[in-house]
Formats: sequence, C-alpha cells, structure tokens
Amino acid sequence: MVVSCTSQPYSQGHAIYTAHCEGCHMEDGSGLADLIPPLDSSRLTLSDPSKLVCLIRKGLPFNTFTGQQMPSNTSMTDVELANLINFLGVEYGLNPQTIKVTEIKKMLAACQSE
Amino acid sequence: MKNYFSLSGSLLLIMLFVGCHAEPDRLPILGNIEVRGTDTLYHLIPDITLIDQDSQVLKIASLDNKVVLVDFFFTSCPSICPKVKKQMLRLYDRYEHDDRVMMISHTIDQRHDSVTVLNRYAHNLGVNTDKWKFVTGEKDSIYFLADQYFVSVVEDPTAPAGFDHSGRIILMDPHRKVRGYCEGTDPESVTAFFETVDQLLKEEYK
Repeated sequence: MVVSCTSQPYSQGHAIYTAHCEGCHMEDGSGLADLIPPLDSSRLTLSDPSKLVCLIRKGLPFNTFTGQQMPSNTSMTDVELANLINFLGVEYGLNPQTIKVTEIKKMLAACQSE
Repeated sequence: MKNYFSLSGSLLLIMLFVGCHAEPDRLPILGNIEVRGTDTLYHLIPDITLIDQDSQVLKIASLDNKVVLVDFFFTSCPSICPKVKKQMLRLYDRYEHDDRVMMISHTIDQRHDSVTVLNRYAHNLGVNTDKWKFVTGEKDSIYFLADQYFVSVVEDPTAPAGFDHSGRIILMDPHRKVRGYCEGTDPESVTAFFETVDQLLKEEYK
C-alpha cells in the first residue's frame, strides 16, 4: 500500500480490503480506467461514511457512468465493515474520524429503509 | 567427500543446461506435435468465427500477419478479470503503436456480455478497438477455443459470478501457433512476458 504499516493502524481493515475489494479496485486503489472507480477520487462516498456503508453492504446493480456493477457484501459483519471503512479513511485521508460499530449499525438501518 | 562430488556433479549439469539454452534461437511451439511420415503437425488454433464489439465478424485466420495477445474474461467478473485487464493494458501501452501486434479479449459470459456491453466496456477501458478487439461468439465455440489456447474455463455456479477461469494471457503467432503465455494476475510474469513477445516479433519479422 501507499502508506507504510506504521501509519495504518487498521491491519484487519486492510485484510478485509484485500479479500473483498482489491480484485477490482486494485492493491493501490487505482481502479481500472473508466470501468472501476479509483478510491482516491471517490470523494463523494469517502467523505460521507453513511453513503459508503450502504454502498459496500448493498453494492450497486448498475453504475450508469461505468456500465459496471458493484457486488453487495452481505456476509460482511458490522465490525468488519467498521474496520474496512476506518482503513479506507486512513489510507486515503478523506475520512479521518473513526467510525464506531454502533454508528455503522445506525447507518445500515438508515440505508435499508431507503 | 561424497557430498562434494554430488555438488560438483550437479553444478556441471546446471552448467551444461545453461550452456544448451544460452542462446534460445526460437520460442517453442506449444501443444501436441504429431509426426506423420515426413510432416510435422503442430497444434493450430482453429479458425473460429467471432463477433467483435462493433458487431463485425472476426475470423481468426483473417488476422493477416499479426502477433496476437489473447485472454478470456467477462465484464461483470468480480474476481481476477480486472487485474488481468490492468496487465493487458500494460501490454496495450507497450505495443499500441506497433501494427504487428493485436489483442483479443473473449467473453465467456455469452448471456450477459452482448455486443453492446462489450462495446461500452472497450470504450470505458479507453482503448483503440482497431487494435484490441472484444469478442463474443457461440458459447461452445468460445469454450472450445479457450481449451485450444490452453486456458481453463468452466461454468461453475459456486464460483464468483458463476464462472471459474484462468487469467492466462496467451501469445499466438501469425500462423495460429501458440508460442508463449503469462499469468495475467501476476505483474512480474507479465513483465517477463514483454521479452517473449519481443522475441516473437524478432523471429517473425526479420
């Protein structure tokens, strides 16, 4: 990763990223051309954790810009989701505040009712 | 003492091996080789009819005098395909202005990856489709073709998105013979593959 191990405290989040996200978004978060969005430019989702939580959990059946789908992650637990989002926040410096599991639960409840 | 001799013996063998392969004059022709009388028959990629991202017919045998880089994928693949495509892009960047090289990506998902879907995929990948074709065809033909390229492709409901396939990138010469491959999921394998492609270009266009 771009950031060294010492400045990235979320090693579990990193492991979850490797298992669930890296295949498409790449190890360095660079994505793929106009098909898979790079994470460092996804300011909309990364600056608003509640949107990011819903996006990761529910996926996106069809992204109208890329023509691609993003798979849902229904098997990911709330704790894993919190670790992942905190990892992304530190890695891309866009969402520095730590999200707690209780907040994740609230955000998930909110996106399910949409 | 015994160990010493066996060590020097194996060193000698290694040196002999290196000696034999120090100047590889030609890339190997992969696949079964059959000798019939005075003829040697090599493994040939069959001339299958494909349909490209612009709905045009593409016959493999009509790729006159081109060295072709081949892979198999599907556009909704959540596992290895994006990584392979990233490596195919490295190859594209390297040979973009070399007219002797062509690239073909075959979809293995005939149900979802229509010509329209392939067209959009190519467009969003940002590549010149005169050089890099995205093709579909009869499902059986594509799966047979993958097998002929030594790429394993299996429809598997338990695999991510329903397909299990290898991320190999294959190098075919202008005579439809397979001359090399690399693992498209491994950037180092692809870096080494640059030399293989360069060597084939040297062999074919003297």
